[in-house]
Amino acid sequence: MEEKPFKASLGSYGSDKSSPDNDIRNLWTRATLSQPKLNVPRSSVGENSDMEGGGIGRKSRRWYNQKAGRDSDGGWEEWDDGEDKGSFKQEDLNESSLLELELRRASSLRSRLGEDVDSVTDTEMSSSESSLNISKHTPHRAYWMEQQNRLPLPLMELMENEALEILTKALRSYRSGIGRDHFLTKQLQRCIEGLKRRQSKRLHLLVH
Amino acid sequence: MKLKQGSFLWYLYLDKLYCLLSVRNVKALLEYFHLLDVHHNNTLNDVLFYHFLHHVTSWNRTQIMIVFNMLDWNAMGEIGFDQFYMLVCILLAQQNHLEEQFIFRHSRPVFELLDLDGELRIGAENFHMYNFLFNIKKQDLRELYHDFDITGDRRLNYKEFKLFTIFTMDKYQERQKAEKDKDKGKKDLLKKKRLHHVNVSLKQFLGINVSESRL
Repeated sequence: MEEKPFKASLGSYGSDKSSPDNDIRNLWTRATLSQPKLNVPRSSVGENSDMEGGGIGRKSRRWYNQKAGRDSDGGWEEWDDGEDKGSFKQEDLNESSLLELELRRASSLRSRLGEDVDSVTDTEMSSSESSLNISKHTPHRAYWMEQQNRLPLPLMELMENEALEILTKALRSYRSGIGRDHFLTKQLQRCIEGLKRRQSKRLHLLVH
Repeated sequence: MKLKQGSFLWYLYLDKLYCLLSVRNVKALLEYFHLLDVHHNNTLNDVLFYHFLHHVTSWNRTQIMIVFNMLDWNAMGEIGFDQFYMLVCILLAQQNHLEEQFIFRHSRPVFELLDLDGELRIGAENFHMYNFLFNIKKQDLRELYHDFDITGDRRLNYKEFKLFTIFTMDKYQERQKAEKDKDKGKKDLLKKKRLHHVNVSLKQFLGINVSESRL
């Protein structure tokens, strides 16, 4: 079962690269609390997940949900009763159920807050609740997508930097061996330029 | 051979029991492979392969080309991901001193790699050529052919090779156990010395107090 995702990715290697606009991490790094629009399709999340990743994802999601349930008094039983192994399967969890879970958590938190702080006004609570929803909603989706679907950015950076060094040296061998005008040399050169562009884009994002 | 510190492979690790990468590590390795696969053939040619190994290991050109010829078992002049994965496992086994365990766990693929001619037998010269890969010392090679060449043809077939891997694994485990016992012995000795010091200082302290009280 572990081989299937790799064969699929080998066969459709270009397809991942062809949709940079749908990369949620680009949205994640630039998203603010006032921008709740995250329309990245979740259908791609479950497809390429490996068993290990899926297992860890399942366990950590259950831990997270249990912890959140424990944090809100009275919410624990709610989670316990409603907890169904099937509902925590990554392929079954969709956007609407995730939102529902977040809202439940927020409402249980609100009831807890209401006992302690009586003087907080309704408007303040509603704004804090919405910001809580957004702040909880925004990073989690990106986090899970990254966990299930993509490699961590620091690792990608390390790999790309190293590949760039190796390919730059290989280019010299290509030029001395088969010449500058050979199509293989040009193909390698294009690849190197692509990697350099990605590197400079990352540096640009870091600076700004 | 040591992997270059801070390189991508340096961060990977083998499962110590099965001497294989985890699925997550394989996924990362596949991405890395695709970065190097500039011609989109799902392969690396000899030039790319050479520069990759030259960058991450301390092997010279001759050793790198020996490894390339060994892995290019289809004689295509290119290395696919399967061979690349095998190579990375061998490198990591060497890096983490798991050669004996690796050969024991994967005796069949290793045998097939060493059997360059496809004769289902390995001569001493094959072993000698690849001893930088599996860290087999000359003395061990001599013992190997002396003790395990049951058929007497001065070459090892797979069964004889398997026996050798089992024997090497036993020796490795005994060595590990001896090292553990040695460490344990050292710790016990250190504990005893500390206890002795504490006793001596206590006695001295008590001895002084008793003499003061008498006075």
